[in-house]
Amino acid sequence: MSRETQKILTTDGIPLEESLKKAEKKNKLKAFLLVCPLLLFLIITYVFPIGDMLFRSIDDRMVTNMLPKTYKAMENWDGKDLPDEEVFEAFYLDYKKLVEDKTFGKLATQLNYEKNGFKSILKKLKRKMKKFEEGNYKEQIMGVHKRWTNVEYWRALKRRAPAYSYSKYLKGVDMYENEDGKIVQVPEDRRVHKILWVRTVEVAFFVTVLCFLMAYPIAHLLATLPMKYSNLLMICVLLPFWTSLLVRTASWMILLQQQGIVNDFFVWIGLVSDENRPEMMYNKTGTYVAMTQILLPFMVLPLYSVMKTISPSLMRAGKSLGGTPFVAFWKVYFPLTIPGIGAGCLLVFILAIGYYITPALVGGASGTLISNQIAFHMKSTLDWSFASAMGLMLLTGVLAIYWVYNKLVGVDNIKLG
Amino acid sequence: MKKLSKLLLTLSFALSITSSAFAVTVASWGGAYTESQKLGYGDPTAKKLGIDINWVDYSGGLSEIKAQKEAGAIVWDIIDVFAMDTITGCDEGLFVEFDFDKDFPAAPDGTPASKDFFTSMPSKCAVGNILYSWNYAYNTNNVKGTPKTIKDFFNTKKFPGKRAIYKSALTNLEIALAADGIKPGKGGAKIYKALETEKGVQRAMDKIKKLCTDPKGGCVFWSAGAQPPELLMSGEVVMATGWNGRFFNATVGEGAPIKQVWDGQGLDYEYFVLVKGGPDEANAKKALAEMTSTEGLAGSAKYIAYAPWRKSSIEVMAKGEPWYKDGKTNMVPHMPTAPENTKNYFLVDPIFWADNGTELGEKWEAMKAGL
Repeated sequence: MSRETQKILTTDGIPLEESLKKAEKKNKLKAFLLVCPLLLFLIITYVFPIGDMLFRSIDDRMVTNMLPKTYKAMENWDGKDLPDEEVFEAFYLDYKKLVEDKTFGKLATQLNYEKNGFKSILKKLKRKMKKFEEGNYKEQIMGVHKRWTNVEYWRALKRRAPAYSYSKYLKGVDMYENEDGKIVQVPEDRRVHKILWVRTVEVAFFVTVLCFLMAYPIAHLLATLPMKYSNLLMICVLLPFWTSLLVRTASWMILLQQQGIVNDFFVWIGLVSDENRPEMMYNKTGTYVAMTQILLPFMVLPLYSVMKTISPSLMRAGKSLGGTPFVAFWKVYFPLTIPGIGAGCLLVFILAIGYYITPALVGGASGTLISNQIAFHMKSTLDWSFASAMGLMLLTGVLAIYWVYNKLVGVDNIKLG
Repeated sequence: MKKLSKLLLTLSFALSITSSAFAVTVASWGGAYTESQKLGYGDPTAKKLGIDINWVDYSGGLSEIKAQKEAGAIVWDIIDVFAMDTITGCDEGLFVEFDFDKDFPAAPDGTPASKDFFTSMPSKCAVGNILYSWNYAYNTNNVKGTPKTIKDFFNTKKFPGKRAIYKSALTNLEIALAADGIKPGKGGAKIYKALETEKGVQRAMDKIKKLCTDPKGGCVFWSAGAQPPELLMSGEVVMATGWNGRFFNATVGEGAPIKQVWDGQGLDYEYFVLVKGGPDEANAKKALAEMTSTEGLAGSAKYIAYAPWRKSSIEVMAKGEPWYKDGKTNMVPHMPTAPENTKNYFLVDPIFWADNGTELGEKWEAMKAGL
């Protein structure tokens, strides 16, 4: 059969295929225009900020552009000993221009991120520079402050030379690139980020497990009880959900602190002595308790909605076919709830990993999580590029978990209701 | 929830734009503090100049004003900031530089403004507004005996029980060294000299670590100013560092059994800065001069126990005692700058912290993580 004979023509002689395409095209355009606002919204509020964040975390053009001569002169410097006069002179000229433009403050802030103590020596240089004589800048700059004679500061300066760098990511895991181009760990007393990452994942993981262990029976009860009781129970689950997070966190503080209600009760019934009240607040215990309670509804609700759809006759069938109640549960009921478990665990874990205010309030010394560190750099040190880098690492982590989940369970199985 | 908060943020942003178009907007820390500013000098200034002054709350730092500037929509005229931020903001060109004696009125006796203020400003963009203290206090019901010195704060043998300290390194390292036997020297210079060295930092960290791991001691870290008096009153800790105004409120305002100790206190400052290119820069400048006048600064001390920056304001207060709003409490002895309270003190050094804050912050967190 030749292709010619296959073609069906419409009344006006155009092949049906084409005219269908035309009509489809119009519809497609209409559909596209309809979703356009949503698409724009997503691009503006989601894609663009995240892209900007990603870019900010590697963009280091500001420093590069501020010190063009210096970096040109530094190309021949091996980074072993103090640089030559050539570098000093170039740096002097660059910095003089920045002082004239009144943008030296930005440089000082940026370089201080790289090496502490840069800020004050740059300011001192600015003051003393007015009296500088021409020539021999090396000696003159070194005379301003003894830190200028320290090669570490010049190495730090050189580290900021590339216009784009991944150094902030290295810093996020307590590493840096030394002058030989090797990636090494920062001194031991400054390794804080790794501890925080591990702690964040640990807290998120155990909170998820605790939530699951507590939510599963609750959800089961909710789904199987007659309507009039289950509604009441549902309100018990939802009421805390609707209460402000801060209120709930503060109430846990009142309940669990050493002189708190729970401890008072323990002492009263003679469980513990007055001198030996257990510490349940301002440590990890407090974080676990408060976070589990706050995130519990996020586990209960997806589980409930899935369990509600499971017919009770399935369990009966399992039992009548000879299974013990446990076997019937494990072989029939449990597999059917996996979509709900997946949704709940993913939800709780993702919320927990970025948790911020509760750990800050009840966590005490061992309660700071990585999100608190991000906020610290966002607000206090203003090192936004470092904060973005850590934010992105967190995001990548969450996406990785999502990917693993997808491989193991399959995202299509998630059911929120 | 993040989306929602973003939406709300945008909304409040839009609202503040529309409202600030007709008024001078001052961003400050909120709570009792902003209340004291509003009643003490905000409202009188607004009345005198015939302008509106809006007070908005923020939680410190330069991130917001920087974001406003980057977005090209500055909505604040005046900000109440820490010393460190005036330096950074001034260097980065966010704030207006002052011609101090010309921009700010002289004291009633004719002393120029620059001489009337306690010390010189940390940057050309700053004008002082209050001095407050990082001191410590204890619950008189739970402590046997009377702690008198900063050493007593670390003395768990004599005064057993948990202590509450600030969550970050700021001022903790200083008091640790002061308690470890370093005489602060003039304005705390010797303490900061010691903290410039690795050894000094280690010494301070060890002192804190010892206190926190001591079975008779132990630490609770506070982050919000309301926490220290609260922790003392609930009996959760026996001693707490904190801001003197909060302790004063708890004691005088609410009658709590709390007593302050001024030995080894850290004096810290708050400043106003004028935002460059703010919505109403001209009026804001006038309002700022009025608010930081002798009468203006004295006014805020009527409502809160923070010391006005001007020496002449203290004189106004001394003449007007009892100065506190209840009409029976003398305010001058509660001032962090009172001679009785400044026998052994240090001035919190903003330049030191601007330089070393990040590194010390990391070391501090690493130390805390190992507790």
